[in-house]
Amino acid sequence: MKSRLLLLLVCLVFMPGLTVALNVSGIVTDEANDPIVGASVICKGTSVGTATDIDGRFTLDVPESGAKIQVSYVGMLPLELPVQPEMKIVMKENTNDLDEVVVIGYGTVKKKDVLGSITTVKDKDLQDRTSGNILESMRGLTSGVKITNSGQAGSSPSMVIRGLGSLTNNTPLFIIDGAYAGNELGVNVEDIESIQVLKDASSAAIYGSRAANGVVIIKTKSGRSGGLKVKFDTQIQLNWLPRYDLMDAETYKLYDDRAYDEAILAGVAGVTNRQDHYKANTDWQDEMLRTGLLQNYNVALSGGNDNLNFYTSFNYLNDKGAMKYTGFEKYGFRVNTAGKKGIFSYGENLYYTYSKTKVLNGIGNVWSNFISMPPTIPVRDPEHGSGFGYGDSNHANSYGLNPVAMQELENRVNKQEYLFGNIYGQVEYPEWARAKVNVAYKTYNGTTDKLRKTGSWTMGQGDDAADISWNESRYHDILIEQTYEFFHKFGGHDINVLAGMSYNHFTSNDKGISRQNPAMSGDHYLTEIDAATGTVTGSGSYGEYSLISYFGRINYSYGDRYLVQLTGRRDGTSKLPNQRRWGNFFSGSLGWRISQEKFFDVDWVDDLKIRANYGSLGNSNIGNWDYVATLNSGPRAVFGTGETVAIGTTQSRLVNTDLVWEKKTTLNVGLDFTTLNSRLRFTADYFQSKSKDLLVYLPILMSTGNEGGAPAVNAGSLSNRGVEFELSWNDRAGDFSYSASLNLSHVKNRVDDLGYGQTAYLTSTSKSEIGQSLGMWYMYKMLGIFQSQEEINSYKNADGKVIQPNALPGDIKYDDYNGDGQISSEDRQIVGNPWPKLEMGFNFSASWRGIDFALNSYGRFGQEVYNGAAYAAGDFQNNQNNFNGIVPWTQEHPVNDRPRIVYGDSRNTRGDQDRWLEDGSFFRISDITLGYSLPTRAIRKIGLEKVRFAVTGKNLVTFTKYSGLDPEFADGGIWTIGYDGCSFPNPRAVQFAVSLTF
Amino acid sequence: MKKTAILLATGLMMAVMPSCSDSDLDIENGNSLNTSNFWKTEEDAEKGLVAVYNMFYRQGTWTRNIYTQLNGMADDGVSYAGWSELAEYSKFIFTDYNFSEFNTKSYKEHYIAVNRANQVLDHIDAIPFANEKHRLDLKAQAQFLRAFYYYYLTNIWENIPVCLKTSSASDYPEQGNPDRMFTLIEDDLKQAIHNLPLTRPETEYGRPTRGAAYALLAKTYAQHKKWDEAAECLYWIIEGDGKGLYDLVEDYGDNFRESTENNRESLYEIQFSMAMGTIGFDGTDNYSSPNAQLGTQIEINQSPSGIGWNNIEANRWLVEWFKREKTVDGKNDPRLYYTLFYREAAEDFPDNDNCVYKWEEWNEGWGNRVFIRKYSTDTHVNDIYYWNGNNFRSLRLADMLLLYAEVINETDGPTTKAVDYIDRVRGRAGLPKLENSTYYNKTAITASPDAFRNHIKVERALELACECVRWFDLKRWGIDANTLAELKTRDADFNNFVIGKSIRVPLPQTDVDNNPNLSQNPNY
Repeated sequence: MKSRLLLLLVCLVFMPGLTVALNVSGIVTDEANDPIVGASVICKGTSVGTATDIDGRFTLDVPESGAKIQVSYVGMLPLELPVQPEMKIVMKENTNDLDEVVVIGYGTVKKKDVLGSITTVKDKDLQDRTSGNILESMRGLTSGVKITNSGQAGSSPSMVIRGLGSLTNNTPLFIIDGAYAGNELGVNVEDIESIQVLKDASSAAIYGSRAANGVVIIKTKSGRSGGLKVKFDTQIQLNWLPRYDLMDAETYKLYDDRAYDEAILAGVAGVTNRQDHYKANTDWQDEMLRTGLLQNYNVALSGGNDNLNFYTSFNYLNDKGAMKYTGFEKYGFRVNTAGKKGIFSYGENLYYTYSKTKVLNGIGNVWSNFISMPPTIPVRDPEHGSGFGYGDSNHANSYGLNPVAMQELENRVNKQEYLFGNIYGQVEYPEWARAKVNVAYKTYNGTTDKLRKTGSWTMGQGDDAADISWNESRYHDILIEQTYEFFHKFGGHDINVLAGMSYNHFTSNDKGISRQNPAMSGDHYLTEIDAATGTVTGSGSYGEYSLISYFGRINYSYGDRYLVQLTGRRDGTSKLPNQRRWGNFFSGSLGWRISQEKFFDVDWVDDLKIRANYGSLGNSNIGNWDYVATLNSGPRAVFGTGETVAIGTTQSRLVNTDLVWEKKTTLNVGLDFTTLNSRLRFTADYFQSKSKDLLVYLPILMSTGNEGGAPAVNAGSLSNRGVEFELSWNDRAGDFSYSASLNLSHVKNRVDDLGYGQTAYLTSTSKSEIGQSLGMWYMYKMLGIFQSQEEINSYKNADGKVIQPNALPGDIKYDDYNGDGQISSEDRQIVGNPWPKLEMGFNFSASWRGIDFALNSYGRFGQEVYNGAAYAAGDFQNNQNNFNGIVPWTQEHPVNDRPRIVYGDSRNTRGDQDRWLEDGSFFRISDITLGYSLPTRAIRKIGLEKVRFAVTGKNLVTFTKYSGLDPEFADGGIWTIGYDGCSFPNPRAVQFAVSLTF
Repeated sequence: MKKTAILLATGLMMAVMPSCSDSDLDIENGNSLNTSNFWKTEEDAEKGLVAVYNMFYRQGTWTRNIYTQLNGMADDGVSYAGWSELAEYSKFIFTDYNFSEFNTKSYKEHYIAVNRANQVLDHIDAIPFANEKHRLDLKAQAQFLRAFYYYYLTNIWENIPVCLKTSSASDYPEQGNPDRMFTLIEDDLKQAIHNLPLTRPETEYGRPTRGAAYALLAKTYAQHKKWDEAAECLYWIIEGDGKGLYDLVEDYGDNFRESTENNRESLYEIQFSMAMGTIGFDGTDNYSSPNAQLGTQIEINQSPSGIGWNNIEANRWLVEWFKREKTVDGKNDPRLYYTLFYREAAEDFPDNDNCVYKWEEWNEGWGNRVFIRKYSTDTHVNDIYYWNGNNFRSLRLADMLLLYAEVINETDGPTTKAVDYIDRVRGRAGLPKLENSTYYNKTAITASPDAFRNHIKVERALELACECVRWFDLKRWGIDANTLAELKTRDADFNNFVIGKSIRVPLPQTDVDNNPNLSQNPNY
């Protein structure tokens, strides 16, 4: 009946001759009396509407019967006003976000009805974070989320939600506009409308097996009713990298000579005299580092009317990295359209990106080269065939890699293209049902071009032929999803039922070709493979998988007080063996909005909700065919006087054929509290999760003869327990408004069980034992330095056995943990915990008239980390460089924390001792922004809506005692989570931004 | 009406949706063969076996590491490698039990070879063969190779995991000891002997013959102190059926030249080749590349800095020992020339070319150091390449003759026969018979088995210098306090040697830590 009325009204509207229209005109402004451009003005109950113009003005012909008009604008409280011929409308900013819509996967709910643990990051929070990478831009904005960056131009950071849940892959599922994506997709930060982070099982359950590590749902912008809106943003950023405080040649020689003197004195084999040092004074960091320049340009056009809207954008980013020989360039292009016609609505999102990355030589790590290269070696040395300086047994006995030579002799460029899009159609029967089909397609094409010129970058390197190679990698990923939704409200009941299925199919192809002896033109190598004359080698393989899922969800609420959500999903994957392919995952949630109860009559509480959920999620995020034992047909051998090459075949990599779904069960209890006129908001969550049948590439014994990677195995189980708090405050006083938020989280994990019946898994520095946290540091313990021969002689065990009889004064005194009178592998012990005890983020923003200020900061506290750079310096054992200010033990300076330096002797520099552990706590102010927007009145005459200038400082202030380059580093993998192996540090930067809206 | 429209619309949408079924999840891996359709034919067995031979061409085996480690631990070699951990490892300073280059790479690659051999042995009996003899031959080759790798594993690490079946990921193999391991090696070789041919055609050089198996068995028995059994094997090689097959080559140098590979003195050679061309820096140790190098890095590994990696060199006492005796025509022992590069070589061998490197004068910076010449090639004009194709003579007759003399001495004392075999080896080098020696006193040498054994130690040191046999010889002879004191005078590395500990290398710690059935070697 209602819909017939609607139809009738629509007919009436389109037959203007039949009724008399009333002409209404007016102006819409904000509280500061600045006009609002593009506000939507609609005659209630009709489709008659318009948008305000550049002066905030509108005119509208309303049917006389239309008693009210509705005015809305993003970020403002919607208004409903009776029609008057001349209207002056003042809109107020919406500071209450309870009615804000939260995307929960195949649907939305109002924030007040959310039952899970979901954090939302809005475009406003992202406006100054132009890094070209979504993840990078989210740092510190939400609780329970750890984002670490490798710092290299064009590289992608990693993200972990609520600690480690899985041992293979802890990357959350990314969904961009309803399609599965990877975090590698360089979606423009400017194009993002909102990011939701679904952290617990109930929120993520609808994504079943794909969601065990949480879900990040990204929604890109769409156009709004009104005229064409053009937004232009540009940022220029200067960035630089922190540096090691390394010795110059003069200081180095002093220490290195002392290390040789010590070696001669101590009788280190083959050492008879000091080195005849090279004469150079090279600062390898100077040779490789520079001030980087990042430029980012983004133009977005958007607009539409009530039935159709569009958003398109073009982005260009050029990052001349702060490391020489690196660079990143990206072009992105987006078209989003959506519209409706009658009961149908439809839309598409399309995103294309092309990027080109100049990458470093794949061998070694530049940051450890800075340390391992003696400063006495010249960058260039005409004595060497390659023209570059490197070690020499008489002048600098070092296998350090000359980082400049490595980049100049090997050039690598990655070119990557993504096309990513989806199209959907939907029919809706108002207030009852809707059905939707969504088809998403993603394709990737990446190539790596490499040229290896002839020449050496280190001592003893073979004189290889030059070669050129070209590798290509492609994939296609198609997702077809169909959902049906039934919803209805009656009495106090509000019910919503969703059912759907999805089919995902992925194929990939890799090919490569390389050829030796490329042709040359003068000293210039030609890259045409045909022109090369040497041996050709080729490689290639393909990959394929599919996933079929059925899912359903029921949301029910009564009286806005009692909330229930039940979710189920059944997933079938091709990655598991035939009989074990299907997994079922369920979750249930309950919520109680106490503040809606009649008995709860507390004025100052705006909203109070408690919620609890329990559910299971699965993971099968492993290789396509990890359960199939395949053969390696690469091995060759040669026989006979004719040296005939014979082909061999063998099984190199062992497999476990009985793999099953990994399951993670999570319990989450939470509280949402809003008070003081929605100014103070508080959220608390407690969660515990338990993962079973963890899929992991657990390293197996070397005696198995396995190679080509550890086999996947369902290895044991892991628990995580934690709490998260988020507290935020926002207020305004006159023209001054501000907001602050603090998030805190603590997660503790415990190994409950390990694979293959083991009770502990050990690496050379860590131990993961049942009942303990993963990857505890397990090493030899340094007690101090032997100050004298007497001390060595008196360092005995209970039986009177001298523990380190071969030690010399100045050597490390190790703890004889088992008391057997010698230092042996039995003396290793737990010496540290790599897990932070507390993680926090603090954000503050304020604005006064046209000036705005924002500060983002975060920190992690209590973790013990392994300083790989200190270990790499190694006390001149291999003629490495070392840090200024070190005070090694000498007779004259008998310190107790650093041993004597000695060339060619590893006793004091072993990697498996707690000497390299440090407190890794830090607190970092990651972004400070100051912005200024010109008064609207001043600029609107020339057709501008908004002009904003901003300057941002990134990573400029870090509080830490850690002596490594950066306490926020890419770790050494799940078994050595706190290992900083000379990681690429995060750049420091100053960014200047201009944003224009027309 | 509306409902109809919606149903219609929904129906249309469903039509767009492709139907899914479970079979959409059946996706075959078409990239490579899988094990369920392999091990069916003779050809499969042959390929499986080639994969075992392939393990010779790995950094942890015979491409390079083994030379540094075995020569370095022995008193004939010493390492002053620029990579100090590598040098320390050959000096009984085992700081990191997981040291990547040896205790990870070499140990692991030996077990990869064992596992590849186990795969052949587990499957070959079920494969139909047209010719039963062919099956037995392939099986015997796999047994020989498994024994070969266990021989090295046992002599280096001693108390090693026992793996005799194709591995599975959940294996926690039990721990063996030298007695058990030597017995297993002997079992494999005794079986192999029956089925290996006496000779092979030229095209099949590189595959073991019966003589190769006897030679390896003899060496194993000797390490196992089973002298009678060792004597039987050596009898077969030297006096029995093998007599007509093997002989010392006239020119000692032919044992180390690429142009004289697979000669009559060789019982077994590891076949190296430059067939893969100049695949470079990382073209080795790639387990799955069909283009991986088949050459050896022995030469660059042992060449001095500026030319090679200087990972291993010789101790000076070898030069002195060689020069104690002149040949019958009054010249220096030619074996010295073929074994070592040293400062006075040009004066000591005025008739020979290339006393240093072909293109290089003796670098005064090298002082009195001595570099290993064996297996160096003369073919390069002005630089040595990363690789060469010179076969490694793993088992050669001179070793057998001297071992036979030793075994006879252990069982029957210093008999004339024992002396004859020593003289045969000496004679090829142009040295006088022992009885005519101007330096050694035959009467004193043959006065007791102990005296004779002590002399054999000298003969073996010189004839087999820097051929990776000395360390196992020292282990066989035992290192007690007296021996240790003597070894220290020749090789300072032994200052780090701890009796009861250093005779074996520590097991890789990660394998000990993660295998509940494995304990670390004593005192580590």
